[in-house]
Amino acid sequence: MIATPDTMATAPVVGPLPTVVPPQATRFALENGLEVVLVPRQVAPIVSAALMIRSGAGIDSPEKAGLASLTAEMLDEGAGARDALGIAEELERLGADLWLGSGRDGSQLSLQAPRETFAEALDIAADVLIRPRLGAEDWERVVSDRRTACAQRRDQPEAVVSVVSDRVLFGDDHPYGRPAEGLERTIDRLTLDDIRGFHAGHWRPNHAFLVVAGDFDETTLRARLDSVFAAWRPAPVPTSPPPPPWPTRPRLVIVDRPGAPQSVVRLVAPGTDRLSVDRSGLAMLNAILGGSFTSRLNFNLREKNGFTYGASSSFAFLHHPGSFAARAAVFAESTAPAVREMLAELAGLRERPATAEEHAKARATLLMRVAEGLSTTGGIAATFGEIGLYDLPLDEPLRFAAALERTTADDLRELAVRYIDPDAASIVIVGDRAAIEPGLRELGLPAAVIYDTDGDRL
Amino acid sequence: MLKIQFDTFTLANGLTVILHPDHSSPLVAVDLWYHVGSKDESPGRTGFAHLFEHLMFMGSRNAPYPAFDAIMEAWGGHNNGTTSNDRTNYYEIGPRNLLETFLWLEADRLATLPDVITEEELEKQRKVVLNERRQSYENRPYGRAELAISEAMYPPDHPYHWPTIGSHADVEAATVADVRAFFDRFYRPSNASLVVAGDFEPAAGRALVERYFGWLPRRDPPVRAARPPDPRLHADVEMTLTDRVQLPRLRLAWHAPALFAPDDADLDLAAHVLGGGKSSRLYRALVFEQRIAQDVFAYQGSQILGSLFQAGATAKPGHDLDEIGAAVDAELVRFAAEGPTEEELERARNTHLADFYKGLDYLQTRADLLNHYQHLLGDPDGVGRDLARYAQATRESVRAAFARAMAGKRLALRTVPEPVAA
Repeated sequence: MIATPDTMATAPVVGPLPTVVPPQATRFALENGLEVVLVPRQVAPIVSAALMIRSGAGIDSPEKAGLASLTAEMLDEGAGARDALGIAEELERLGADLWLGSGRDGSQLSLQAPRETFAEALDIAADVLIRPRLGAEDWERVVSDRRTACAQRRDQPEAVVSVVSDRVLFGDDHPYGRPAEGLERTIDRLTLDDIRGFHAGHWRPNHAFLVVAGDFDETTLRARLDSVFAAWRPAPVPTSPPPPPWPTRPRLVIVDRPGAPQSVVRLVAPGTDRLSVDRSGLAMLNAILGGSFTSRLNFNLREKNGFTYGASSSFAFLHHPGSFAARAAVFAESTAPAVREMLAELAGLRERPATAEEHAKARATLLMRVAEGLSTTGGIAATFGEIGLYDLPLDEPLRFAAALERTTADDLRELAVRYIDPDAASIVIVGDRAAIEPGLRELGLPAAVIYDTDGDRL
Repeated sequence: MLKIQFDTFTLANGLTVILHPDHSSPLVAVDLWYHVGSKDESPGRTGFAHLFEHLMFMGSRNAPYPAFDAIMEAWGGHNNGTTSNDRTNYYEIGPRNLLETFLWLEADRLATLPDVITEEELEKQRKVVLNERRQSYENRPYGRAELAISEAMYPPDHPYHWPTIGSHADVEAATVADVRAFFDRFYRPSNASLVVAGDFEPAAGRALVERYFGWLPRRDPPVRAARPPDPRLHADVEMTLTDRVQLPRLRLAWHAPALFAPDDADLDLAAHVLGGGKSSRLYRALVFEQRIAQDVFAYQGSQILGSLFQAGATAKPGHDLDEIGAAVDAELVRFAAEGPTEEELERARNTHLADFYKGLDYLQTRADLLNHYQHLLGDPDGVGRDLARYAQATRESVRAAFARAMAGKRLALRTVPEPVAA
């Protein structure tokens, strides 16, 4: 046994947390209405851009789920003077990554390129945004690949549990109830005219927000932005009907995966929206419950019981109220005890309110997550992209930090009562039904409702 | 030429230390590599380096469980560890006020772990690791193929024969005595390198490293097994696995030169031209033109004792692996004969360089890269040497390297959907 010197005997004294100082951001608008934020950072010789469109899968009608995301995906399949492969070849020559996709609340074009080639890559991005070809032959290929990808989703229990949980929580008529990528049957209903319509309707500069972060010369870049986006014309953007209210939900849902060695478990319940005043407090509450390694869920399920490789929880703060979810993939034979412990931890937030240590930890964890998010060009683009998407003030990181400071232990207790109700959560499990159902019955849960991998009740 | 600024020195006990100050954000990263991986295990004792990595979080004498995670998370820090065939790394990231804590925690577990480890802790982490195995391989599509590749490509006595995650039986059989012996052999300052990166002053950083690591006694680097002969397949191997998947996938694998050996970078470029993106040859032929594949891949999996070059594709519904195999082979044969065009080579080289730049943006990636070069070359200053390998590649060097690799025997591994139960 090695003798450790006195220097090792006690933990070092930890000084005060550093202040989070967001980078300097310049905001302006182009003549066509496009809002732009520039954030310099000169650590690596690269530039990252995020162009956010304030419409995403959250306005797809449930029958046509996949429209927003397929529109995004089609934009670089030929644009301006180049066909699909021509665009791919030119981007690679420039060392540039171009990514297009849609989430619930927005669609996005991301571009990352070395400093020397960013301006040329931006030309291609502008072609893609403004002059996509949206050709029939490319559409046929892209839609076929997407259809196959949706079928392949059935291979992945984590993806299946997401599809089914969203349907259970949001219901049949809410756009958040369908996967953003769509389902085979909803994709089959889409036509190229739908894609053209979505692009013409929503991909407009007056409905967009651009962040450029990294190693650039501001004067040159501003001139370049003026010229490449000059041809992008504003137009009124269609509005969408409000989504329906929360549906009534089954308590226990199983998607049968015979012989599965693990059960993928998700507990879901209503959360709140991105602009809610409760957001910072709920973020803290979540950090305590399932937002870090030492959180209650992970400590109980992984460290204390060895049921899982990891357990966590999260709120999805969206344009419309989103989900609260707790999750773990557990040994099939541990399914019932794992569900029991997850429910107990949800109840525990009311019965055993956050300690002073947990409260301080949650605040520090979230503050440092902000700091780390702002420590790369990609992270800066993502942080300010979200600010643009939800029309938040530019000093949102500081406002969030201040809100964390203000949130008291009483606030957290009150939020736990309002938002974390174990009896209101739906339990969704992708696993071996025959093996896990008896144990779940012994927990006193009602009979399971069986869903298929697309989120349809059988 | 691109450079990552650093200072390096060696403590009297043999620990290599690399300091990389960066004041662009108020964060620090500590990145500690132990030069031990699953290649240093023995048959029948597989999965040990990785299981051990888990035990490193189970408390040390002055920071008893769960202090390691609890102390740093209290201040917004976080950490992880990863194990590969070749090495094990541990890292912490957090606000700059945690630097001293990070160093204390790492030093204390290096000094005292075997004194405090218990059977109960081993049992807990055994369960976590077996869950990791299920989550990462057994319940993941095509995961069985990933486990099968190394077994098929390497003979039973080659250290790459077994997967890093280990076998169920070996993980079940591990004892506390095994843990102590493994620690004693490999967890020595002389078998490690430490990078401190981020918002600190070099003199203060050096003083802290000396304070917490300097007192550890010197022990010689571990004696290692002799480097095994370069593995080769003596005949083409065909294997078929079933898995819970919708679509069949073909995976071809060849032995290829080791990381940093001649041909390694050329094969990396060849992989990019063949399967690196939408403009790659396999994508263009199989996905874009023939429309018989859902996805394609090609990569040079570079490792210290030898690499695997892999390529393949997933069949679209209505197409089978014979058709896929013929189409892939046609592209590979043509590439071995013709090599890349000048434009293809330029694209592959530029993409590689740009990806390298993008990685440099993140503090932890830079820290890990310095350790990677230290581990591999005995010198953290490896960026120039690494990138020069790619800059020097020519159409002919890429073609020739690829043709040499293809001249060897290969594994053709087919994953096909499990029959649907009646």
